[in-house]
Amino acid sequence: MNNTIVQKKICLLGDFGVGKTSLVRRFVEDRFEDKYLTTIGVKISRKTIERPYGSMNMLIWDLAGSTGFDSFTNPSYMQGTAGAAIVCDITRRETLTIVAEYARQARIMNPKIHLVFVCNKADLAGTRVISDPEIASVSSTFGDGTFFLTSARTGERVEDVFFTLAEKIDARP
Amino acid sequence: MKPIQPDNETPAGSTDENSDPLISIRSILLSDVRDRLREIEHQIDASQTQAQSDDDNLRQQLNELLMELDRLRQLAREADERSRDLKTEIEILRRRAQADSEGLIARVTPVLGDMISRTIRDSRDEMAEALGPIMGEAIRVQIRDSRKDMVEALYPVIGESVQRAVGEFTKEFQRNIDARLKAAFGPRGMLRTASARLRGISPAQLAMRDALPFSIREIFLIQHGSGLLLAHSHPGSTEVADSDLISGMLTAIRDFVRDSFGYGDKDKELDEVQYGDQRIIIQSGRAAYLAVVSTGTEPEGFRAKLHEFVSELHVKYEKVLAQYNGDPTILPNLQPKIARLVAETTGGETGPRKMSRNTKLAWVIGILVSVLLIALGCFYLQFTVALYPIAFPSPTATATGTPTATPTLTATSTATATFTPTSTSTPTQTFTPTSTPTFTPTFTPTFTPTPYKAYADGNVWTRDFPDAIKPHVEVLFIKTPVTVLSVYGRWLKVEWFAGDGRHQGWVPAIWITVVEPISPILITPTFIP
Repeated sequence: MNNTIVQKKICLLGDFGVGKTSLVRRFVEDRFEDKYLTTIGVKISRKTIERPYGSMNMLIWDLAGSTGFDSFTNPSYMQGTAGAAIVCDITRRETLTIVAEYARQARIMNPKIHLVFVCNKADLAGTRVISDPEIASVSSTFGDGTFFLTSARTGERVEDVFFTLAEKIDARP
Repeated sequence: MKPIQPDNETPAGSTDENSDPLISIRSILLSDVRDRLREIEHQIDASQTQAQSDDDNLRQQLNELLMELDRLRQLAREADERSRDLKTEIEILRRRAQADSEGLIARVTPVLGDMISRTIRDSRDEMAEALGPIMGEAIRVQIRDSRKDMVEALYPVIGESVQRAVGEFTKEFQRNIDARLKAAFGPRGMLRTASARLRGISPAQLAMRDALPFSIREIFLIQHGSGLLLAHSHPGSTEVADSDLISGMLTAIRDFVRDSFGYGDKDKELDEVQYGDQRIIIQSGRAAYLAVVSTGTEPEGFRAKLHEFVSELHVKYEKVLAQYNGDPTILPNLQPKIARLVAETTGGETGPRKMSRNTKLAWVIGILVSVLLIALGCFYLQFTVALYPIAFPSPTATATGTPTATPTLTATSTATATFTPTSTSTPTQTFTPTSTPTFTPTFTPTFTPTPYKAYADGNVWTRDFPDAIKPHVEVLFIKTPVTVLSVYGRWLKVEWFAGDGRHQGWVPAIWITVVEPISPILITPTFIP
């Protein structure tokens, strides 16, 4: 087996409190914490995943959330990013309306960036305010209309998000 | 109550035949009413009887209640009295307790102290557990309330600790300095010190640098922007597993500092981070930057070396460094280059340093000049040794017979100030009347007089002997420069030049002002005539 180890920078973008840090924690440490702590600046984690050619060191930059594109996350942090997950919260409609702007900003920093769209907090179905067709509609404005309905609490489809990003990056580095 | 008379009843004897049917009809019609009236009348009677009975009962109950109330009042009064009594008793007891409290404290204190001591001794852990939580708070309160007392109490402890720590550090520092000084006075050290001096570094600075030795713990080569790690070396520490995370975080910090404090100037970069005795020195290039984690005082020219390294790296690999996307296969092996940089920047400790061409040339020229100077020095020394006997001939006659007294050297001989051709025999250090006749023709008449050491204070008679009773010989005129030849008591034997030549004679010391102190060897208990 080939033992090539590649490093890839992955970013998580999204409004405050959509669950970016929880997604990273679930993916990297496989655990969930109920308490909410605002990320200040950026927190970098690493997760090594097996790939056909060896392994990929995913350096995941969990960027501090923002509110609206006026205060978009520090663009410097987006430099050299291979892929990004744009996250929204299905219980807060305003977090969906802004995702297209995040995608636009990310592509300004790196036109070749790979994006995936993540709708988090699937476990809170009772308070859900955004329907699947609405999400698909927004997703199609900046991507291929696909999205991941995830739950950092239960771990539902969290790994799929990052593995899909890895596959996209490997397909077109 | 007036009884209701039935309407159908008529008085006897007043009935007639016409009214009978009416009466009968009336009687039939009102019979129900009459019955009801009668029933009501009975009910009223019964109610009156019942009311009468209830009234009696109520009155009786009221009487009973009044009696009960009286009884309760009586009881309340008794309770009040008892309460007052109890209060009085409590007050008495309280006063008694208050009066006894001091005595009680005095009695309980030794017991309590003993009890606490015993508990501490027997159940140390339990006591620590019990007191632990409040100790911090107690200390805080104590510091807040009586800071000065606490400072005074803690000073001996803290002062001693600090003193010890400082002492240890000083000793270690001193040992280090001593070792370095010893090394500095070795041949290599001397050379190093001389070299440092030439570069403008004082020995103190050099010693300080040596005492706080410079070492590189880690070197990161990191891509700009992405923060991806390009190469990593850890000569002064063990392998760090999170070097890729560190490089990412360091990049984020740089970006943060530049965006927050750069005030729009994108060329400014964070170039140093200090943490304790460690420093992260950052040397930035266009595509990548070098972060060196080091301790101690960096050697002179270290930054320049880093700059040179990063520049060279960019000249060779800028495109690769900029395009690196995490795939190591496109990246050249930069590890040996970094290892070489470590070796070069940490000096001779890690290996012999390769000298540059200029350095080699400078060394060769330096050595040649040194050899030339040494040769010149040797020649000069030899020349001086050879000439010494001629320049300073021995006072004995034997020295005069040397071939050096050739006419060619005459000038040198005459330059000696004290050489005289006279045959005066004196105990002075002037040279000397013993020249052989062979010498005489070689001296020119140019005579250099001896600088006088005294002069006459007035016109005074000189004598042949240091005695006032001896006859006068001649007058020594005022202000005449003289040379003191000998001293006897209060008499001086002086020599001076008059119009007809050299004169000598004894004069009282009071008439002679001595310019220079008289040599002790001239002072003798005996005089020389």
